[in-house]
Amino acid sequence: MRWIFVLSGVALAYGMAMPAVAATWQVDAAHSTLEFTNSYQDVRYTGQFKRFTAKIDYDPADLAHAKFDVGVDITSLDTQNSERDHAALGANFFDAAKFPRAHFVTTAFHKGAGGTVVADGTLTLRGISKPVELQVRFAPHGDDATLDVTTQLKRLDFGIGSGQWADTSLIGDRVTVHGHLVMTRAASTQAPSH
Amino acid sequence: MLLRSTEGGWGPVVRAFHWLVAVLIVAQGAIGLVMVDMGLTPAKLRVFALHKSIGLTILALVLLRIAWRLTERRPTDPPAMPHWQRRMARAMHIALYLLILALPLSGWWFNSAANAPLVWFGLFDVPSLTHGYAPAWKPRALLLHEALFWLLVALLVVHVGAALWHHFKQRDDVLKRMLLGPRRKSGDT
Ligand code: HEM
Repeated sequence: MRWIFVLSGVALAYGMAMPAVAATWQVDAAHSTLEFTNSYQDVRYTGQFKRFTAKIDYDPADLAHAKFDVGVDITSLDTQNSERDHAALGANFFDAAKFPRAHFVTTAFHKGAGGTVVADGTLTLRGISKPVELQVRFAPHGDDATLDVTTQLKRLDFGIGSGQWADTSLIGDRVTVHGHLVMTRAASTQAPSH
Repeated sequence: MLLRSTEGGWGPVVRAFHWLVAVLIVAQGAIGLVMVDMGLTPAKLRVFALHKSIGLTILALVLLRIAWRLTERRPTDPPAMPHWQRRMARAMHIALYLLILALPLSGWWFNSAANAPLVWFGLFDVPSLTHGYAPAWKPRALLLHEALFWLLVALLVVHVGAALWHHFKQRDDVLKRMLLGPRRKSGDT
């Protein structure tokens, strides 16, 4: 009988170790987007950062080992309006010359209302670090998955538009950020095919 | 009818349209020239928004003005006016109508291609003419907006010059019958 206990102990240990390893994902940059929506003169517009990297460790059954680490190239901003992009990257707003990168890293995950998953993390933008919560929606399809994250930020919290540009009747304070990641399970952790 | 133009002079609707559009276009041209040289501040963006709203108002007024004018007769030309001058005057007026129609349209086109917001006096969204950002059309639309403006300025110099020439040299009632105020009978001085 003893060997059964040993065996199940090994299986248990393996089973517990598995998710942390099995949950690493490779992000398909060509099909993933990082968008934000804001208002300008009361008209909503959407912009995106065309270049960003995301390291994703995620298994919904093992949130304790989940981790997102996202780096954003601020200069890849595109709001479909060259004057606006140019102004937004300038010293009054993102100040991309001084702060060319933004960084987000999770600190913990928890269950929110209605069983949704919330990622707590720190966003560093324009040299300012603030806690940020992401709403997480994860949809696996075998070895592929999509990960949608959404959050609401205030541009003024990060000093984006100060002085006369702090006027929120011209440029709205609230910014909704939405990341859509298309991912495949990292090769080394692919589930064995049966 | 009292609102109508007659053989002897323009009706009050034509005259009101004429001076309303004239004042708005002069103001609009001045705002346009000043705003493009402003430094990038929130004030500049608000002046741009004002320029667009006034421009769209001018477009709407010009459309109404042309619609009304098409139902009207033209007062008779002064008898002393030679045939070629009458033809020139007609051609000039048609050119002015086309220009004050095309000029705001070109501004709207540029604004659409640049994917800039367009909200009439902050009240309602005006649709884009290009279905979103069209960077390739931007320089052409801007060049057209500027060219039409300077062409209008040139024609207005001739237009105003001709009106003053009629009044001071020919001493006819061509200018007087477009002025505001109680309708003047042809022949009054
Ligand atoms: C009769 C009507 C209009 C007049 C007389 C007018 C006149 C002008 C003038 C003089 C300029 C400066 C051009 C320069 O020096 O570069 C200008 C610029 C401009 N106009 Fe208009 N405009 C009219 C209507 C409109 C409308 C309806 C719109 C938009 C809906 C518009 C949008 C613009 C914009 C966006 C610029 C700035 C171009 C830039 O960024 O350099 N305009 N306009």
